[in-house]
Amino acid sequence: METIVFYGFATTAVGSALLLVSMRNIARALFLFFIVLFSVAGLYLFALADFVAITQILIYVGGVLVLLLFAFMLSNKELLQQLHSGTSHFFALPVWQALLIAASFLAILVYTAIQGGTDEPAWITASKMAGTAIHPTDNTVEQIGLQIMTQYLLPFEVVSVLLMMALIGAAHLTRKEETP
Amino acid sequence: MPAYTLTYPLLAALSAVLLPFAAFLLTAVLGKKAKHGTISIVAISLSLLAAGYAFTQVWGNTPIHIQWHWFTIGRHAFHVGLLLDNMAVLMLVLVCLIALPVHCYSIAYMRGDPGIHRYWAYLSLFCFAMLGLVVADNLLLMYICWELVGFASYLLIGFWYTRDAAVQANKKAFIVNRIGDIGFLLGIAILHSSFGTLDIQALFGPQGLLTAPMGADTPAIAAEGTITSGWLTVAGLAFFLGTMAKSAQFPLHVWLPDAMEGPTSVSSLIHAATMVAAGVFLLARVFPIFDDTTLLVITTTGTVTAFAAAYFALAQYDIKKILAFSTISQLGFMMVGIGIGMYHVALFHLVTHAFFKCLLFLSAGAIIHGMQHAKEKHQLDIDPQDIRHMGGLRRHMPLTFTTMLIASLALAGFPFTAGYLSKDALLVHAFEWAALHGEAAIAIPLVLVIVSILTSFYIFRLLAKVFFARPSVLANNDIHIHEASRWMLAPMAFLAFCSLFPIFTFHPLNDGQVWLLHGLVAEAPTLPPLRPLHILVPALATAATLVMATLAWRWYVNGHYPIRTKGVLYRLSERQGYLNELYDAIIVRPLLKLSLLLLWIDHHVVDGAINGMATAGRSLAGIAAWIDYHLVDGLIRLVGNLAWGAGHVLRRSQTGRVQQYVALVFFIVLVILLYHIFAQA
Amino acid sequence: MITLTHFLVVGACLFSTGLYAVLSRRNALLVLVGIELMINAAIVNLVAFGRYDKSLYGGQVFALFAIVLAAAAVAVALAIILNVYKFYKSVNPEDISNLKD
Repeated sequence: METIVFYGFATTAVGSALLLVSMRNIARALFLFFIVLFSVAGLYLFALADFVAITQILIYVGGVLVLLLFAFMLSNKELLQQLHSGTSHFFALPVWQALLIAASFLAILVYTAIQGGTDEPAWITASKMAGTAIHPTDNTVEQIGLQIMTQYLLPFEVVSVLLMMALIGAAHLTRKEETP
Repeated sequence: MPAYTLTYPLLAALSAVLLPFAAFLLTAVLGKKAKHGTISIVAISLSLLAAGYAFTQVWGNTPIHIQWHWFTIGRHAFHVGLLLDNMAVLMLVLVCLIALPVHCYSIAYMRGDPGIHRYWAYLSLFCFAMLGLVVADNLLLMYICWELVGFASYLLIGFWYTRDAAVQANKKAFIVNRIGDIGFLLGIAILHSSFGTLDIQALFGPQGLLTAPMGADTPAIAAEGTITSGWLTVAGLAFFLGTMAKSAQFPLHVWLPDAMEGPTSVSSLIHAATMVAAGVFLLARVFPIFDDTTLLVITTTGTVTAFAAAYFALAQYDIKKILAFSTISQLGFMMVGIGIGMYHVALFHLVTHAFFKCLLFLSAGAIIHGMQHAKEKHQLDIDPQDIRHMGGLRRHMPLTFTTMLIASLALAGFPFTAGYLSKDALLVHAFEWAALHGEAAIAIPLVLVIVSILTSFYIFRLLAKVFFARPSVLANNDIHIHEASRWMLAPMAFLAFCSLFPIFTFHPLNDGQVWLLHGLVAEAPTLPPLRPLHILVPALATAATLVMATLAWRWYVNGHYPIRTKGVLYRLSERQGYLNELYDAIIVRPLLKLSLLLLWIDHHVVDGAINGMATAGRSLAGIAAWIDYHLVDGLIRLVGNLAWGAGHVLRRSQTGRVQQYVALVFFIVLVILLYHIFAQA
Repeated sequence: MITLTHFLVVGACLFSTGLYAVLSRRNALLVLVGIELMINAAIVNLVAFGRYDKSLYGGQVFALFAIVLAAAAVAVALAIILNVYKFYKSVNPEDISNLKD
């Protein structure tokens, strides 16, 4: 049962992603992205990361995707006609080349993953033996909160400053040009 | 030892030398403003005064010598200085004394000439050069002045440079003089390489390096240098060669008759005291250098010259040419005087000859001047110098006739004249010398006697033709020849006085009493006297003179002319022994042909070689240019093109498209990953 | 049983898909989406490995950081895309080739 659900999520995510990259209509593609994000969030649950899954849905679906939709609508007029262009140059990358590179990566990554499955890293084996892996019953939210406030306080602060900078930067980039 | 302080006699001599030079510079600067010639006359007058003062101070005393360091070549220091001994001051006074009347005479004679300012400048330069020559204390300085004399004479002979004959004459004089200058220079070089000094006193003074072996055949040995007898002979001959050209000795005398193309006043200066005297003076200066061989050569040459010139003078028609050959002949006498070792007598003859020859020329100039005026006035087609057109001038120009007569008598060696004293002394000494040198040597005094007789003949021929003969052209036209002006007559009168005996001796018939001869050299060389000759020779000469005068009178005045003018001997005399034609044939024409040949060689061989080299160079340069352009540049261009091509290929990768960059990044990452995987496997 | 390998394979698939989108799509928005896909693949990996780290929760914490940073990146990137659009009147990365030499 558990495995079937996992495969279902995985299939949904990968299939939606494939459909997304091959979709000509941008609006539909964005909604497919929405499905991908949900499916990935589901996958997180199987990794016993429920808080990450919630955050994924909140930030991506609530923030990123809405932003993307706004941006799409702001530049929509050009998009349709751009779909038909794409003159091929000497070094211009035809789709099959991108496909080739992507497929190669896929092959390598899958190969590495399977190889890692057969002889997994020592620390994972040690963790399995010591029983320090996360259990489904553990309260991860409390632990994450504790860890952020203690062990990862410095990265947390750095990220917060970075977010601040990103916000200011985005605001600066999008402000209207002053007409002198 | 030479003195280094400038005493009054030295100062006087120096100013006597430099004043004409200053006059020359001033006249040259002033140009046409200096036509009156006052500057030159004042300068030569002051020179005469200064020279006279120096003469009174030095004559009979020890020589004064001053020198300053001039320059140094290697170890040899060269000096410039003055040497005032009896010989120098005598010449100093003589040159000034002759130059001053000539200057005065020139005022009248050259009046109205368009280039007269040049004339004064040249004349001053000429005097400066000659005065410098006589006081020079070393041979180098003397040589410089010697050349200056030659150059000034070149300018003066060619003074009327628009006349082709004058230009030819001054070129001829200059070129012939060059031959002599080479001799002089060679002599200087030999002496300098042998002794390391050119100082006249050090070489020829009483204790000089060359005085000891005089006349001996042994090599001269001196502390500072030696010279072998062979080189001594060569050096002596070299100096004599210089003299031959300058003093117009046979066969280099050819320039002197031609030099008559210059103004007559210049001729008188050249012939009397300056140019030709320089050679005799030089020989007297360097006399100790001559060994027996050289002296014999000098004597022989002098004799030949005297005879040839006297012979050539016989048939000349140009009044100045007669006088010119007379000069050459008298110079031959002086050479004989030097050759027999009696150089003080030669110098004495030089002095007396200076006066009467100058006077002869000035008188001739006065005649020519008169003839020229008559020619212009009456449009006569005559040569004013040709004696055939003259005649009967005694009535027209009595004063000129008087001076000319005095000078002629002096030249002929008539008693009571200065010429008698010097010339007969020379003759007597020649006989005495011949007595010492074997039977063959007697030929020389005998020839000289013949020359003396010829001299009397040609000068009386001149007198007869000019003053006594029946007027040829002038008679028909009722032409009156004017007596010369006062400016011309005064110098002539002065010189006429100097041509007589009183200023030399109070005993008119005995040359042994002449003060000049006693004071001229410290230790006068002597020959064993032959007493009878002292009576016999003058008596004979005087008798011959009288006979010749009568003969000339009979032939030319009374018209009893016995000689065919087409005879070989006559023509030989008239054409001056065909020497000019000979030189023309054997020297000038081959030289011209050689020059043409050299021109051809120069044009075709030398230029051709150079052109060939140039062409070769150009083609070489062309090859080099090709190599440079195609190989060297090509290599560099290849590198550049390679870089450009590489850049051109690589710039294609810079498409500016983000996705392609990303693709490249991922491709490289992919390659790295693959590498790791395969490296692990 | 769902092993680590399963997650890694799913992450690999997502990553390759995102890479393909980045390389091939002619729209800046979709390129951005591809990047997000690749980030998600990375987060999947983080979470999967983080399962064996109970003491520090490093995987999950950094997954959170990554999500936040991705959001910030998207915000900035969208601002840039809008500016590019204003300037070029296009969001096609092919047209934006001023960096071409």
